[in-house]
Order: sequence, then C-alpha cells, then structure tokens
Amino acid sequence: MSITGSVPGTDKRGLRELGAEEKVGWDEVTQGVTLNSFVGDAADIVHKKAEERNYNDFNSYTATVASWRIIKPVYNRDICIDCQNCWVWCPDTSIISRDKQMLGIDYDHCKGCGVCVEVCPTNPKSLLMFGEAEENDKALSAWPEKKKKEK
Amino acid sequence: MAITSIKNLKEFSTNNDRFEGAHLLCPGCAHSMIVRELMNCTDDNLVIASNTGCLEVSTAVYPYTSWDTSWIHIGFENAATAASCAESMYKARKNKGTLKDPDAPVKFVAFGGDGSTYDIGFQWLSGAMERGHDFTYICLDNENYANTGGQRSSATPVGANTSTAQAGSHSYGKKQKKKDMVAIMAAHGAPYVAQLAPNKWKSMAKGFQKALETEGPCFINTVSACTTEWKFDPKDTINVTDLATDTLMFPIYEIIDGHELNILYRPKNILKVEDYLGAQGRYRHLFKPENKHVIERIQKDIDEKWEFLQRREEARI
Repeated sequence: MSITGSVPGTDKRGLRELGAEEKVGWDEVTQGVTLNSFVGDAADIVHKKAEERNYNDFNSYTATVASWRIIKPVYNRDICIDCQNCWVWCPDTSIISRDKQMLGIDYDHCKGCGVCVEVCPTNPKSLLMFGEAEENDKALSAWPEKKKKEK
Repeated sequence: MAITSIKNLKEFSTNNDRFEGAHLLCPGCAHSMIVRELMNCTDDNLVIASNTGCLEVSTAVYPYTSWDTSWIHIGFENAATAASCAESMYKARKNKGTLKDPDAPVKFVAFGGDGSTYDIGFQWLSGAMERGHDFTYICLDNENYANTGGQRSSATPVGANTSTAQAGSHSYGKKQKKKDMVAIMAAHGAPYVAQLAPNKWKSMAKGFQKALETEGPCFINTVSACTTEWKFDPKDTINVTDLATDTLMFPIYEIIDGHELNILYRPKNILKVEDYLGAQGRYRHLFKPENKHVIERIQKDIDEKWEFLQRREEARI
C-alpha cells in the first residue's frame, strides 16, 4: 500500500502509519464507510487557511508526491511581481499564496511539471526549473540576468 | 449567495483551496486546474459527484481523499444522476424541515470526463437535464479515454491517433467528426451552457459562477489538455490550450436559455490549425504528404464552425 516514497524532512507528511487496529486493506473496507477530510466540524472550512485547518490523516494534504519529481521549480522572491499566474494554473495546489503574496512552493505536493515556469511573465523568470538534487541557494545564486528584447 | 471576487488574479488568489495536493493526476494535468478553479470561485458548500475517470481514480486513492467537500463517486455513467438525486433529497428534506442547517447555501456539481459525458453517461445526463434539477455538470474534455489507455471516444477529433483508431499505412487516425455536445445540451433548453478553457481563467471563473448561480441544469464543456495521450511535454499544458483557443479548435462561447449565443473570446490573430496540430504527438502523422487533405478538412470544419457561431451570435435567435 505504498503510494509515497520516504522524503527526508517531511515528518508531518508522508504515509502515516495508522494504528494496527485501524489498518484494513482496501478490500476489507465496509460498504458505505466515509473518509472524513477533517477532524471534527468541517462546516466553515472554506474560510480557513490550510494552516488553520484540522486535517485528518485521510486527507491527501497529509501525503506527499515529492518522489515523483526529477526537476523542481525554484522561486526567486526578488523578481516576483505577485501576479499569481502560477497560483491559478498550478495543477497540484503547490503554490503557497497568502494575502495576495506568493510565499513559495509546497515541495511535498509539487510534481515538477513546470507549468508555473511557463506562465511566469517576468524577465528573467522568477521561477525556474532545476535538478532535484540542486540546492535552492546555489540555484538562486546562478539566476540568469535580464534578457534584452530582440528587435 | 456567497460568490468570491474574481476582479483580478490577486483577489482571486486570496481564496483557500478546497482541492488538496498529492492527488495522483499526471504532472501538468489540466483536470486539477479546472477543478481548483471551480472550487475557488464560490464560498458555498459543494456536493460533488464524480463519474469514473481520471479525476475520480486519482483523487480518491485509498486511504486518501483530495476533496475538502462532500464528494460522491458513482459508476461510469451516473454522476448526473447522483447530483440530481442529492439535489432532490436536499429539497425534500428542506421542505420537511429535517436539515441541520437549512440556510446554508449548497451547490450541486457533477464532474465527468468526455468518455462518460459524450458516450457512456449520455442518456443519464440527458435525463437529468430534462428533469430540470438545479445542478451544474462539468465535462472535463480531454478527447479520449485517458484513464484506460487512450481509446477513442466520440469527443476525439478527426485525425487524432488513439489506441483504438490508430494511424498507419491504411488509416489517418479517427475518421469521424467530434460530437457537438454543447449544441446538444443547448437543445435541451438548459438555462446555461458553455464551452470554456482553463487558459482564459477569468472567462472560465465567470462561467462557473454564472452556472452555479443559475437555477436549473447547467452544462459546461471544458478543454482539458492531456499531456499523456495528446503527447506533449507536461510544462506545455497552458501553451497547448492557448493554441487550442487561438486556432479556434475550441471556441469559447456560452448559450443562454438554448438560443442566446455569446462568444466569450475572440483571438486577435487567428492562427492556422497546423500550429495546434504540430504541438502534439497524436497528430504527427498528419504532416505526411498523403495526409494533407486531413489538415485541410480540419481547417475547413473550424472555419465553418466559427462562421456558424458568429452568425448565431448576430442573429440572437
């Protein structure tokens, strides 16, 4: 039942071990059972930010797909104009945006598709793809210069 | 009515996502862009029904669910039925006074792929539209059965290479025209029918809000570029969708009450269809000299359709 790899530094995420008495195979689940996304009342969830929500272990927010990635986007705050293009087109809800500001990338949910880099309008781009093994600081120091428009 | 502001992207981005990451859709899949946008454009409680398809198998892999709303998975054909039944039950319980919170606004939405909308769930969808339930059906049209290996569906366009309509020495891929689902749904007399694309996020969010606000059955066909079966690089999802709308392969328009047609996006430069076809591996064979007539046919179909839409818009009948 392993759908996620073990990623260092994500102790809050990843496939959490359910208690031995709760662990049932997919073919042993009783019909009509529901998986609750949240612990307790979920009535006003739409007005709560992700960090204020009480996610249940069944919510895929607690899981990670970081092992899918071979290239990763790196975010450069200095160039970003907070246009939120990357936020609206990210297929994996991995762009963290709060109060009209882009804060960064959720590397637990990002699959490295590269859509955010393609839709970034700045020059040079404020998001670029680097190899998964590259360190973010090193990537930021090697950021390209502004390109002049070709006439 | 709690509709969120979509004046600009910055305001739109203050919404809290209700579609969580770590679902198992392919990297760069447009399905999740469309679903996220629908769930972000309203504050109301949502009851969502999903047909079997890519979206359903990837967002509810035991023991995880990616949905922060009520979500029902049902057979390949029944999302429209499930949504309409949930809506009927909601109304009945409201009348009886047995709801916990009768004033909370609830919207009913059904998601289906093109296989379950155009082919397998067609009869059920037609029935739900005819009965006039207050729900919104959204078709995520990726033009094939992508979940099962890319078989042809009746949404597959002419000339596409699919695993059951293969291109080769004796065939140029699918020979039949794509079914015009938007026109069929408009002919049901549905109050709001539209074809939208994720690259034009504002017209899409507006369309979704309009559909959720409208009482009665609404149908929205959305273009969902499929990186796996259309065979392009995952990063190019939005670029390919841009080409689709700019070549008018997917014109963006709405039909209100079955007759009032509005074109929502007019490209400044209408591109030739070769640009769209050339960006995808599934059309590669069309660029052989013996298949030139297929491209000409596709371009002719597009021009005729665009002419038809423009004249329908002018006529207002």
